[in-house]
Amino acid sequence: MAKTRLSRRAFLRSTAAGAAVLGFPLPLRAQPKTFKIGAIHPVTGPLAEPGQACRLGAQMAADAINAAGGIKSKGGLKLELLLGDTQTKPENGRVEAERAVGQGAQMLLGSFDSGSTNSMVSVAQQKRVPLLVDIAAADPITANVAKSVKEGQQKVQYVYRNFPTGSSFGRNAVQYFTEIFKEASVSPKRVVLMHANDLFGTNQMRGFKAAWEAAKPSWEIVEIIPWPEPPSDLSTEVSRAKALKPDVLAPITRPASAQLLLPEIRKQRVELMGIVGPGSPGLYEAGQFAVLKEDLEYVMTSVPWPSFKNPRTLAVAEEYAKRTERETGRRRTFDTNSGYSYDAMFLIADILERAATLGDPDAIVEAMRKTRFAGGLMQYGGPILFNEIGDNPNAIATMIQILGQKPVAVWPKAAALQKFVFPRPKA
Amino acid sequence: MRWLGALAVLVLLALPAVLGSYATTILILVFFYGFLGQAWNIVGGYAGQLSVGHAAFVGIGGYTAAMLSLEWGITPWIGMFVGGALAAVLGAVIGYLGFRFGLRGFYFVLLTVAFAEICRIAVSNVDAVGGALGLYITFTGDPRQFQFQDGRVYYYIALALMLAATGVVALLERRRFGIYLAAIREDESAAEALGVDTFKYKMLAMVVSSFLTGLGGTFYAFYLFSLQPNAMFGIPLSVEIILRPIVGGAGTLLGPILGSFMLTPLGELSRLYFGQGGHHGLHLVAYGVLLIAVVLFLPQGAYPYLRRFFVGSRP
Repeated sequence: MAKTRLSRRAFLRSTAAGAAVLGFPLPLRAQPKTFKIGAIHPVTGPLAEPGQACRLGAQMAADAINAAGGIKSKGGLKLELLLGDTQTKPENGRVEAERAVGQGAQMLLGSFDSGSTNSMVSVAQQKRVPLLVDIAAADPITANVAKSVKEGQQKVQYVYRNFPTGSSFGRNAVQYFTEIFKEASVSPKRVVLMHANDLFGTNQMRGFKAAWEAAKPSWEIVEIIPWPEPPSDLSTEVSRAKALKPDVLAPITRPASAQLLLPEIRKQRVELMGIVGPGSPGLYEAGQFAVLKEDLEYVMTSVPWPSFKNPRTLAVAEEYAKRTERETGRRRTFDTNSGYSYDAMFLIADILERAATLGDPDAIVEAMRKTRFAGGLMQYGGPILFNEIGDNPNAIATMIQILGQKPVAVWPKAAALQKFVFPRPKA
Repeated sequence: MRWLGALAVLVLLALPAVLGSYATTILILVFFYGFLGQAWNIVGGYAGQLSVGHAAFVGIGGYTAAMLSLEWGITPWIGMFVGGALAAVLGAVIGYLGFRFGLRGFYFVLLTVAFAEICRIAVSNVDAVGGALGLYITFTGDPRQFQFQDGRVYYYIALALMLAATGVVALLERRRFGIYLAAIREDESAAEALGVDTFKYKMLAMVVSSFLTGLGGTFYAFYLFSLQPNAMFGIPLSVEIILRPIVGGAGTLLGPILGSFMLTPLGELSRLYFGQGGHHGLHLVAYGVLLIAVVLFLPQGAYPYLRRFFVGSRP
């Protein structure tokens, strides 16, 4: 049998060629001028589903902007997304941001989980590339940069966020709980807070607890019960909660834990006025309805939600559902993740329209600071703007409730499509 | 061989001048994982004690330096060594329990995994060290805080770490210590019968390995600016650490480095080229298939084959 043997020369030649590809990943052919944005999300790994929703939301928005003539004040400049995948690993946040910048990205967008986002922050600040955080709730992401600019360690803040922070999530939720209880003319006293003991769950729990301590409402958090995420069984946690005789259970779940928690509450016949979450996934997604069915009925949760009173939102949501059906075979809801990434892209377009020049990152930052954008599809408390920390104080949550097996906005009144049902009817 | 090594180092020193930031970043990860793989190689490769919990040392090192910096303003340049020392203490505890009670093979694997998991769960639940939220380091660009405005500095630090660890391993390899470790790996009972104090040398290997790995934790923390219990102490990081030496050639001087030069760019390039279209996850399949191919066709790791290719085929 003839043996094919790799000669040393051929080996070295192919190694050198490989190194050259690695060193210069830029496309070699000439391309029409575009404004490149590194859109980095966790499209594989444990957070793949929301990450893919973010990517699709951003892509759809970029397509819509380009179809409408691009950035008009800059001669119809088109947007081009350089896609990246963090796999929810912090190191990939940095690697992908570096790659996007190396390929000519003049802005960065991302990246859903706070760890990866914070490693993108260092690239943004090092390379002076403005980063718009579309989703990531940990307060320090922007606060740390604002602090280092204030203390003179950094000259300019290149990191801004259009998403509620952990603490603002908490404030919103406590306010909605209080208002809904008052509106319903009932006075639940005992709230048991249950949460997934991971990064997200802990962040949400802390924000909610701090806001409750600050607001001193008429109801009380009688106990905080964590569970390891993902849990294998939640019967002990639920029986502990039941023993506390709560009026309201406030769960901070993940999809996997919600699938255990809600049936367990039913099985143990916990008498409740309602299940009202301070804000978490697992309580409103299409996939969850298929599993939890009636257990989800009347559950409320406070989440960033699209403003479905806006006809444009309805049109985009329909297009999103069709596109997901075409690409994945399942109609998906236009929700928190796809919605905030969609808005982020239109926000970027608005910033680019107003920037004096796109060649200077500081000019883009200047335009970002002066943002007053009212064209978002999500439910906001006012126009999108950035405070001294770089966060949008008008990025708020909406209380949604599962009514007739569909998530419906029920509070605040301005956003409500239907009246909430609280206390829930007795089974 | 010596001049070839010197030439390679010179090339690596000069590379950032011609490479883009993405390629530099990949090389930083190549060096970093090469360094961690080399540190693991001492106990896992030379002494043959399969530790699958080395992420614990990365975590201890990184968290220590970050806490010292965030709480007391102590520069990570010092924190790095404090973290390394604490990692070495943990290594000594694990080593003592494992080696004193004669845990071998799978039992030692389980012990190391258990300790890493205990650390991860403990850190996730202690709010004083950030809890499940983790720690977020403020980017200042101040070199005294182990932060650099120019990303190329990280390149040189990672390169220095990898070369230093390789130097340590080269020294060990040539001394009696290295030979004792190889004897322990090949047949521990025989080594003991010949008078080798196997407990002492395994302990020493564990302490040196965990100290070096702990140093790497500081680099990881101050390169990525965020520390989360799952990323710093989790099993996936432990597996990443041991994959390099296993693929490159465990128990060889250059195996972990070679493994890192193979796997890190492979992971990145497959993500770059397969991850772009709608085929989410295809890059993971490609990476997995290539990994299986390497293990199937190069079961002793790539280094012995490459050595034969370059040195052995010489007339």
